[in-house]
Amino acid sequence: MGPATVAQSALDPAGPQAAQLSHLWWVMFWVCTSVFLVVIAIVASAVLRRNSEPTPDRLLTGSVAFGVGATVAILFGFLVISFITGRAVASTVDAGAVTITVTGQQWWWNVEYIDPAPNLRVRTANEIHIPVGRPIVFNLASRDVIHSFWVPNLHGKRDLIPGYQTSFWLQADRPGVYRGQCAEFCGHQHAWMALYVTAESDAEYKRWLAAQREPAVEPGSDITRRGQELFLKSTCTQCHTIRGTIAGAVSGPDLTHVASRGSLAAGTLSNTREHIERWVRDPQQAKPGNRMPPNAMSDDDLHALSAYLESLK
Amino acid sequence: MAAKDYANTRYSGLSEITAGNVASLKPAWTFSTGVLRGQEAAPLVVNGTMYVVTPYPNLLYALDLTKPGAPAKWVYKPKPSAAAQGVACCDTVNRGAAYADGKIFFNALDAHTIAVDAETGKEVWKTMVGDFRRGETTTMAPIVAKGKVIVGASGGELGIRGWVVALNAADGSIAWRAYHTGPDKDVLIGPNFKPFYASDRGTDLGVSSWPPDAWKTGGAGAWGWISYDPELDLIFYGTANPGTWNPEKRPGDNKWSCTVFARRPDTGEAVWAYQYNPHDLFDHDAVNEHLVLDLQYGGQLRKLLVHPERNGHMYVFDRQTGEILSAEPYAYINSSTGVDLKTGRLHMVDEKKPITNKVVYDICPAAPGAKDWQPTSFSPRTGMLYIPHQNLCHDEEVLDVGYIQGTPYVGANVKMNPGPGGHRGQLDAWDVVNAKQVWSVKESFPVWSGAVSTAGDVVFYGTMDGWFKAVHAKTGAPLWQFKVGSGVIGQPITYKGPDGKQYVAVLSGVGGWAGAIVSGDLDAGDPTAALGFVNVMKDLPQSSTKGGTLYVFSLP
Amino acid sequence: MKVVMAILAVSVLVACEREKREFHQSGIVPQTTPVTDLYPGGGTPHAAERSKYEGNAYALSQGKMLFSAYNCTGCHANGGGGMGPALMDDQWIYGYEPDQVYKSILEGRPNGMPTFRGKIPDEQLGEIAAYVRSLSGQAPKAAAPGRDDHMSGKPAESSTEKRSPKISALPPSAVQ
Repeated sequence: MGPATVAQSALDPAGPQAAQLSHLWWVMFWVCTSVFLVVIAIVASAVLRRNSEPTPDRLLTGSVAFGVGATVAILFGFLVISFITGRAVASTVDAGAVTITVTGQQWWWNVEYIDPAPNLRVRTANEIHIPVGRPIVFNLASRDVIHSFWVPNLHGKRDLIPGYQTSFWLQADRPGVYRGQCAEFCGHQHAWMALYVTAESDAEYKRWLAAQREPAVEPGSDITRRGQELFLKSTCTQCHTIRGTIAGAVSGPDLTHVASRGSLAAGTLSNTREHIERWVRDPQQAKPGNRMPPNAMSDDDLHALSAYLESLK
Repeated sequence: MAAKDYANTRYSGLSEITAGNVASLKPAWTFSTGVLRGQEAAPLVVNGTMYVVTPYPNLLYALDLTKPGAPAKWVYKPKPSAAAQGVACCDTVNRGAAYADGKIFFNALDAHTIAVDAETGKEVWKTMVGDFRRGETTTMAPIVAKGKVIVGASGGELGIRGWVVALNAADGSIAWRAYHTGPDKDVLIGPNFKPFYASDRGTDLGVSSWPPDAWKTGGAGAWGWISYDPELDLIFYGTANPGTWNPEKRPGDNKWSCTVFARRPDTGEAVWAYQYNPHDLFDHDAVNEHLVLDLQYGGQLRKLLVHPERNGHMYVFDRQTGEILSAEPYAYINSSTGVDLKTGRLHMVDEKKPITNKVVYDICPAAPGAKDWQPTSFSPRTGMLYIPHQNLCHDEEVLDVGYIQGTPYVGANVKMNPGPGGHRGQLDAWDVVNAKQVWSVKESFPVWSGAVSTAGDVVFYGTMDGWFKAVHAKTGAPLWQFKVGSGVIGQPITYKGPDGKQYVAVLSGVGGWAGAIVSGDLDAGDPTAALGFVNVMKDLPQSSTKGGTLYVFSLP
Repeated sequence: MKVVMAILAVSVLVACEREKREFHQSGIVPQTTPVTDLYPGGGTPHAAERSKYEGNAYALSQGKMLFSAYNCTGCHANGGGGMGPALMDDQWIYGYEPDQVYKSILEGRPNGMPTFRGKIPDEQLGEIAAYVRSLSGQAPKAAAPGRDDHMSGKPAESSTEKRSPKISALPPSAVQ
């Protein structure tokens, strides 16, 4: 389950949109189940009665007409409630909501908190924190291929289409850590493109956001200093940003506060020192085909680097 | 100094050569610099010696004008680092030197400022003012004011944190450095800072108008012209584009890029500033010259600052306060609708805003602006500003880009095209007080050379296909032209030789950003090469090869 | 029938090379790489090492992506050059063979090419070098990228005419 505190399920809604969708699903389920049982009952009775007389024409046409009519009526009913659900889920929300831009790329989520004051923006990866009970607007974009943003406990799927920005809003009505994942096949590691949405109290959310705005923690011990030195000297600066250092590249996730996240590599590994080392040494073993190359380094160097990364809370 | 005077008028009071006799102008002598990159410098004449700075490797020649053929007295070779060529955005040019106190001051490409004894050619001091490994280079012509050599950084395309530095002329030690992004204390904004417009007022705007930490790679160099008013004790200069070219990566006004600063030369403290292009969308650096002119304006004699901006507007300021008195377009503009004189704000056109991964077509003026670094000349006789400039529009697609120190931080595919009319360049005469064009000479190629005007009512300029021309200052009528060896992108000068005759000198050698297809041997098959210039200069290689020769003309 | 089988066999083999993706292989650093055509005293001309990336569509596509991500486009544009020389022409100052291009990126070059040793891993370097060669049409058409996602105004690498490269520091204007 990773850091998620709630089972990832569309049938355990934690917000109004997911509740609408879940409701729609249950209605369809029960109607279909009932229809199924009725049809089975009729078929069973037909088999058991063992009546050898041919069915009179009037009864036959009548039954077919009833069957077709009932089916059409039920489907039309489904259409109507789908339409109503769709309208409710797609409603717009006024400004003042928290706005987050999520850019999907193979195979991780780039997350940016938008703020009218540019120096208050926050950039992170694979992790979203939101305040409970407030509408959150998501702007979705893709850097390469079509992905799909899906946090089942909170909302339905929404595609991230390259060259096009879409948006939707959701709300979490109860606190918890919800797991989401990519829901549109996007290549080799589509299966391991997950993210975690933490819904928390307003005060906790503000605290988290303020901490994310800070530049990276300065290394305070010899081993973390050595780790930072290694980071800046090596291939890491070609793809990653650590604010507060000269590393400013954007092909890979922003690592300024990597140690504060619930998972590594978009939900592939839990965020432990051992996993950091395993990941840095050979990401291709944990997530073959992903964009990060292996890094051969001595054990001592690896320990120093992981100590530094672990300190970036 | 390269600009002729602190006011940056580039006007000569010499009148031996007049509109009447310039048709008989002949070459007097020539000098081959031995360097084949773009020659943007202005030769400097001091006490019977002419000083010429070449592009990389930045040789400084001293030519003895008292002897026939002006033989070289000495050459000083700064030997800048070869690797610095890899971080010079727009050809490895140099725009000239300055003279003061018996010394010649100039910049070498690898961010070193050098003082050389004007008589002997011996190095007096050499100071490292920046780090080319971070993308900082120096290509501008310094000025010397009140014993301080003032130098600005190049490198906005490399994500530098731009600055201007003042070195003590005597020993080359750094007196002060003003950054152009970041907290007020680094920008040397203090209690005496009084910007005229509200949007330039506030604390630490160089931090708050950027996403977190983006100001550290915010560009905003100062690689253009610096002027000086000794009476008001202010230096004026503009800062360059913000890093990166993709505006979506840097929401906010991005102060203090594309800004004119008025500073005290002694301490560098900012007295006023105005940001021409907040949240610059098109690489419209504000580094063009700021002419210090006292003119009869609106019924009274006023202290003006005149600036032909890349964004296509001619700004006229009251240079004491920074108030904009007028900002009329001097070129075709479709990317903005004008400057609101009450708020100082330039109003941008939404449809022309670059969007990541989308191509926006036909943005005018193009990235080099209506006019780039090539300096204008103001004639007090005619009251006209002679503007060598280009007529270009561009298509732009901005891309996601990351900052990797020592590599470009641009994030854009650009293709330039000729502007309305199809001609790519022109030399205009602009009536400064009445803010209108008086005459215009159209040219096929961008007019990337400087201009010089004289009391003889002649204006000299050069074209990129190699014609050095003289036109009538009042009417623009062509008077004389001479085909030099290679396209002209340098700054012509005129001077009185030791023999009392008037000479006109200009460097020929095409290149610079506009001529990079020739000076850099670029491939015309890729229209986005040289940040989009190659697309509109595909015919340059047929019209000009590389060169590096100084031509000096006089009447027979 | 035999002809058909032969054609099928060849297509399968070619396709294999084009489509192979090995995620665990480390790149091979080329050894001796001269950058001149002069071999004094009857020396043996350098035999170019065949690059395993050049026929591989994934490698070339990765190379193209990295060429942009690592800011190579900032100096070399989409092959036409700018701060750096053109990569799509036939003039190669430091050599055009896969290992020579590889070495230029790895070691840097005196007049402004930075060194990426320790910054770009070997495997990616090989991919980028193969992509650079595809800019002048040196890569097989079946494997080179067939379409640009961005405005570049020139034909895609798979439609680029193959130019005949030479080691040369002469400017094109002196050669044509």
